[in-house]
Amino acid sequence: MIEFQGVSKWFGPLKVIKEISATVDKGTTIVLCGPSGSGKSTLVRTVNRLESIQEGTITVGGMDINAKSVNVNTLRTGIGFIFQQFNLFPHLTVIDNVMLPLRRIHKQSRKEALPAALLMLERVGLADKANSLPADISGGQSQRVAIARSLILKPEVLILDEPTSALDPEMVSEVLKLLRQLSGEGITMMCVTHEMGFAREVADRIWFLKNGALTFDAKPELFFSSGTHPDVRGFLSSIQKNH
Amino acid sequence: MLEIIREYGLMLLIGEYPHGKLGGLALTLIISIVSLAVTFPCAILIALARTGQSRPLKAIASGFVHSVRAIPLLMLIFWAYFALPMAIGFPIDATYTLIIAIVVYQAAYLGEIIAAGIQGLPNGQVEAAKALGLGYVPTTFRVILPQAIFNVIPGIVNQLTTIIKESSLGSIIAVSELSYVMLQVNSNEVTKPLQIFGILAATYFILCFALSQATNWLERRIANRRTGRVLVEVIA
Repeated sequence: MIEFQGVSKWFGPLKVIKEISATVDKGTTIVLCGPSGSGKSTLVRTVNRLESIQEGTITVGGMDINAKSVNVNTLRTGIGFIFQQFNLFPHLTVIDNVMLPLRRIHKQSRKEALPAALLMLERVGLADKANSLPADISGGQSQRVAIARSLILKPEVLILDEPTSALDPEMVSEVLKLLRQLSGEGITMMCVTHEMGFAREVADRIWFLKNGALTFDAKPELFFSSGTHPDVRGFLSSIQKNH
Repeated sequence: MLEIIREYGLMLLIGEYPHGKLGGLALTLIISIVSLAVTFPCAILIALARTGQSRPLKAIASGFVHSVRAIPLLMLIFWAYFALPMAIGFPIDATYTLIIAIVVYQAAYLGEIIAAGIQGLPNGQVEAAKALGLGYVPTTFRVILPQAIFNVIPGIVNQLTTIIKESSLGSIIAVSELSYVMLQVNSNEVTKPLQIFGILAATYFILCFALSQATNWLERRIANRRTGRVLVEVIA
């Protein structure tokens, strides 16, 4: 579904992604982890061209996303993207946030867009908050609305960049529960997270990045086993110390 | 003072209308409202050019802003009044001349205010719009501008009151707005400048003060709606 071939990226003189080649199969969930500054966020942001790459190719569904013929907005409607800070539009109600892509991309009227948006809110368990403003709901609820908004155009891929890192601990579980559910429904997912319990349970493969390179790509069983990569072992023990 | 109001009150409000042209306070208001209505879209275009990606547009907009800010409005009025008719080959009504000068002048200032509002938004807002696949137009008009303009409402009102006050410069090119009318009253009444210009000052004050109060109220209302706070009315 998503294929990275020799992908490199520089920020000025600094090479932040180093010749990454890897594949994400359709319907699978990939968890990306690694120390901060390892390039996980940058890598997932290249998939919907929020970041450009200087070398290599990325294909999504067989299409080279950086080809001249590709319309970047069409590409992005097929890829849901979730940010750490939710980035809901504060001047719009919850339902208007969710309806926005339908109305402004599919050019639907409010009346046409409403049923699908309400259904999507029901799916994330927030139908009762439809008319609230983002300022009135909790962080966990905000992130669920952001997920509903990014799924409203039925993308085949969902990318999550530390979806629970800005949440209070008691709100992390409600978001993870939703992600578990989505992962089970067969959407292709790439998720940057430090939630190792979630990774162990949901991920089909875990990618470990260090200094911009993909140093280890393994199934969770191997990733968390004693036979794992030495860098991973160090990383895991450093996270555990903090918990 | 009352005597002046009694005698010239109607003139102060509507000039010589219906026997002559509409003037006085009514004309001041019309000039101000029309000027703002025309300035606003111009200012938005300038702000978008200033904050956008296109280098030529950026250069044109910033050249315009810096030039206009470096000259007095009065000079723009002289230009519009004396030079513009020669350039285009036919005379323009003084009222329109004044409006054109104010629009050019204020578009630069209001454009900078709106640009600041756009730059002040968190980067995540634009990124979220991009990530959803929204193009430039919906991102600008549905996501960026509604927030940016709301955030700079105080600055916009400030410019509105400035426009009302600046319209008094029309008296120099014989636009019969409020100040011009009072100048005429003063030449009739020679000995009462204190009262006459007192009335003039009070009229401007009431107009501008009421406007900024009304906007404060409006701003609070929107802010309460956006942050979810319920406005509690105190019942005495």
